[in-house]
Amino acid sequence: MQSNISLTISDLWIERGDRDLCKGFSLTATSGDIIHILGDNGAGKSSLFKTLFGLVSPVEGEVQLNGEDVLNYRDPLLKLSLYISHALGLKSVFTVLENIRWYFPKASEADIARVLSLLKIEGYLDVPIKALSAGQTRRVALARLWLSDLPVWFLDEPFSALDMVSIQLLEGRIREHAEQGGIVFFTSHQPVTLLSPRRVELTA
Amino acid sequence: MTYFSYFKAECLVLFRRKQNLVNALLFFALVIVLFPLGVDPSKAFLAPAAGGIIWCAAALATVISLESMFKEDYADGSLEQLLVSGLSISWLVLLKVLVHWLGMIIPLLLLTPIFSEMLFLPDGVLGVLMTTLLLGTPGLFLIGSIGASLTVSLRQGALLMLLLILPFYFPIIIFSTSAIQAVASGLPYSGLLAIIGAISLLALVMSPLMTPICLKASVR
Repeated sequence: MQSNISLTISDLWIERGDRDLCKGFSLTATSGDIIHILGDNGAGKSSLFKTLFGLVSPVEGEVQLNGEDVLNYRDPLLKLSLYISHALGLKSVFTVLENIRWYFPKASEADIARVLSLLKIEGYLDVPIKALSAGQTRRVALARLWLSDLPVWFLDEPFSALDMVSIQLLEGRIREHAEQGGIVFFTSHQPVTLLSPRRVELTA
Repeated sequence: MTYFSYFKAECLVLFRRKQNLVNALLFFALVIVLFPLGVDPSKAFLAPAAGGIIWCAAALATVISLESMFKEDYADGSLEQLLVSGLSISWLVLLKVLVHWLGMIIPLLLLTPIFSEMLFLPDGVLGVLMTTLLLGTPGLFLIGSIGASLTVSLRQGALLMLLLILPFYFPIIIFSTSAIQAVASGLPYSGLLAIIGAISLLALVMSPLMTPICLKASVR
């Protein structure tokens, strides 16, 4: 894993419709940072992530990865990022294993088995995603956090629909990732217990 | 995610959702069957019209099968994941079109001899009809993917997509049916085949440029 990464957002101005979501938003994150993005419903937390990935165009502002602009040429950021959004990106016609294989064709059987038993979905390997509960489906999507070696994580409401044990497991994984030199951005309306993230408020 | 794992996943989705494909092929069969029933079952009418009927049915069936091309990816969030995967969206789109095209063209080519027999297609024309389908349908699918990506976020996008892309289907249909008529009346037709191939090649260049732009605009 690349250990010296810095992501700088300066004076970002995002508009949606005629409404300003954030204006003059600045943030610097370096390896080891955990950043909790706060804001009311509709404050623009998801739009902020989508802006960084080029799915929404900002009115103005700059985003730099290791000093290089990534707003106009996003490939360097995309190649380092793992993004889990509200829509989980799992195919409902696939089984759990097929979904994981789709994202990680090279992952070994043993690794997948280890991660799935950690997340307590080891018995559902050949069950179609549509037969799982909301929390189980989310855990399948979150399995990517254990299998991936990408350093920068963007997690949109990762804790929703999870039980207490899974939340603690996920918080532990986020902390471990930061200790290994990764960067984690996450949004959450619930307070976190195990982590002490930097809190950043999104305001118009 | 790699290009190969995406290709495998697309094939699997097509297989698990084979009902979509079966529906499009049933539609193809129904349109063809309606002509002898509704207009005239005599050989004098059907023999010259057969190539055109099969081509129009194939074009409409293509639209039906493409309408849902990106719908599920959009709804379950995998379209977003593809866009942020760092892989080239153009290649991913081409792979998707390839899978959908193969899934459609193979049964279509198997059905065509049966239906051309039913429609009294003149002897010796079948080969050219199959060739025009093979050369022209890639163009239909590539143009169709632009329409499908434009309307992916709309709930009732099917008719709009039809209106948007059908005008671009006209040249392919016109040149294909001309080639079939030319061979039936003993005229040279290789130039017409070359034009159909050229249109498909043009679509092969344009579609991977346009479709990703439309997809990004839909996902925001």
